[in-house]
Amino acid sequence: MLSIQGLKAEVDEKEILKGLDLTVGAGEVHAIMGPNGSGKSTLAHVLSGREGYAVTGGSVTFDDRDLLALEPEERACLGLFLAFQYPVELPGVNNTYFLKAALNAKRKYHGEDELDAVSFLRLMKEKLKVLHLDDSLLKRPVNVGFSGGEKKRNEIFQMALLEPKLAILDETDSGLDIDALRVVANGVNALRSPERSMLVVTHYQRLLDYIEPDYVHVLAKGRIIRSGGKELARELEDKGYGWIVDEAAA
Amino acid sequence: MSAQALKSDITATAPVPEASPFDRWLPATPATAEPDWLARIRAAALARVRSEGAPTGKSEGWRYTGLRTLLEQGFTAVDEPLSALLPEDIDEVLVSGLDAHRVVIVNGRFTPQLSDLSNLPAGVRISPLCTELAGAQTALADHLNAVAGEGAHVFAALNSAGFEDGMMLHAERGTLVEQPIELLHLSVGMDEPRIAQPRHLISLGDGAQVALIERFASLGDALYGNNALMEIRLGRDAALKHRRIQLESPSAFHISGVYLSQAANSRYDGINVGIGARWARTDLVTRFSGEYAECNLQGLYLAGDKQLLDYHLDVHHGLPHCASRENFKGIVHGRGKAVFDGLVYVAKDAQHTDAEMSNRNLLLSEHAEVDTKPQLEIYADDVKCSHGTTVGQIEPEMLFYLRSRGIPQALARRMLCIGFAGEIIDALGNDALAAYVAEAVGHRLEAVPL
Repeated sequence: MLSIQGLKAEVDEKEILKGLDLTVGAGEVHAIMGPNGSGKSTLAHVLSGREGYAVTGGSVTFDDRDLLALEPEERACLGLFLAFQYPVELPGVNNTYFLKAALNAKRKYHGEDELDAVSFLRLMKEKLKVLHLDDSLLKRPVNVGFSGGEKKRNEIFQMALLEPKLAILDETDSGLDIDALRVVANGVNALRSPERSMLVVTHYQRLLDYIEPDYVHVLAKGRIIRSGGKELARELEDKGYGWIVDEAAA
Repeated sequence: MSAQALKSDITATAPVPEASPFDRWLPATPATAEPDWLARIRAAALARVRSEGAPTGKSEGWRYTGLRTLLEQGFTAVDEPLSALLPEDIDEVLVSGLDAHRVVIVNGRFTPQLSDLSNLPAGVRISPLCTELAGAQTALADHLNAVAGEGAHVFAALNSAGFEDGMMLHAERGTLVEQPIELLHLSVGMDEPRIAQPRHLISLGDGAQVALIERFASLGDALYGNNALMEIRLGRDAALKHRRIQLESPSAFHISGVYLSQAANSRYDGINVGIGARWARTDLVTRFSGEYAECNLQGLYLAGDKQLLDYHLDVHHGLPHCASRENFKGIVHGRGKAVFDGLVYVAKDAQHTDAEMSNRNLLLSEHAEVDTKPQLEIYADDVKCSHGTTVGQIEPEMLFYLRSRGIPQALARRMLCIGFAGEIIDALGNDALAAYVAEAVGHRLEAVPL
């Protein structure tokens, strides 16, 4: 599904990722944990194709395609989805119109007919129920005036609608209280499937109490320094990142 | 009328040139049977046109708005009414689903066979200005130029000197007109470049409420000109919703002015949309004649390749407790150019004025240009006034967000532009009209390389 080898990336000529290796198989949920500044968000952004990051080495293959050679919209159409840490507000762009444009862009890319208004609304209703999302959010401009929890739920709703093969959740827990976190996590869990892989990027272990990963990786100073099962997350919660970073440096 | 006769009407100090670059904009033969008071107005206006001539880049109001291309066209006055049009000929320029009383002005003339005033409610009178003038009503003498006289620029004087027709609308005290009244300026290109100069007089009695949808459209994409002038008087507590949709032919030259006088507690709510014309200049001028009046001016302009769209706003707060809001948004692409000049003047006695001005612009290309000039002149000390302008590009963050959802770049940019314009389109407050404008905006943006 996803294979990252020796990935190096710079921001403003400062190297952030320093040779990162990671392989994610179909249906697997991987958590990327690490202290602030370790390169977690950079990894998420480089994978999604955001401007401002220079890849200086390594390769990323996604479903046997050279991911880094593709435009962001092509990556999305091929099944990559980034749930933003800070979802962007789009004044004047109606949420329903936005969702329909996104879904139809993907369908068009795969040579399928665009969904008509009725089928689209039916699909939305169905997905809304799964996420317990208030449909009033759909009538408003994208993310404008949404609370932190609403923004994150809107991200997960987009994910539900676009049905990606690989979802990257970038600090999805940041800024959420425990109730909102539970709702978002339940939404994510509802979308787990043998065909869908997930990369859960987080600083804290608490999200992983709700979204249980198959694998946990510790990212520090631009490299994965430790990989393990979900018990690794627990250990990090108890002992912090210090010991493991020191150990890796030794 | 000889130049000699003209001279007697104005001060003798400055000699009046015998001609102006605009003389051919005036009808060759003066309208017959015009009352004396009108002849005097026209003579004074013509004298002003001749003494002032064409404004140059040196005059402040025209610094960014070159007149060279306008003058090069060799416009002449529309010489005869175009009477052959049938109602089915104008289907293509109508707003689908719009229920309105309709007045159609073809090349500057009120055209009854295309108009529909059959359901006009009691208390509202709409008539061709030329018949009102032929009736020689002295009442009109107080109305014409009452609002657009002094201080207006030379094109207003030119209109006074040369107008032949237009619409007169009067709503009696307390009249509520539920259905909007549509005033459609329809231009049809002739063998040579013609310019029409319609004049409209609108008056709302105390407490009257009217919605006016004024549109400029053309059959075909011919070269022609419009120099339209509207004078509006709002009585106490009167309310006018005024929508102005400028979708002239892409070759057209457009000059229009709205001059407004507002009595106490009246409310004017105007929205200007500018998409068409090669060269367009619009002046919106407001004077308050009573306290607690409110003037709301919003606008949306889309200026593209080789297009100039210029809006000049002039709100004069001379009395206390009045409010004005200006909110104009513009999208400029290609080598397009837009001008926004907003003046809010608050006189010494105009305490408790509440004035707010905003002009935001989106530039879509390297060569797009916008000249924005918000001006607040405040001489009172207890007021609430603010202004803000922005000139920017599409936010990369927003663009990436859309692209990360699979939306191709060009469509993403178009969606963000339409979103930017959406605030003004939504404010139109009429579904049929909003759909019509949204389609025109979308249509234009589709043709733009994004």
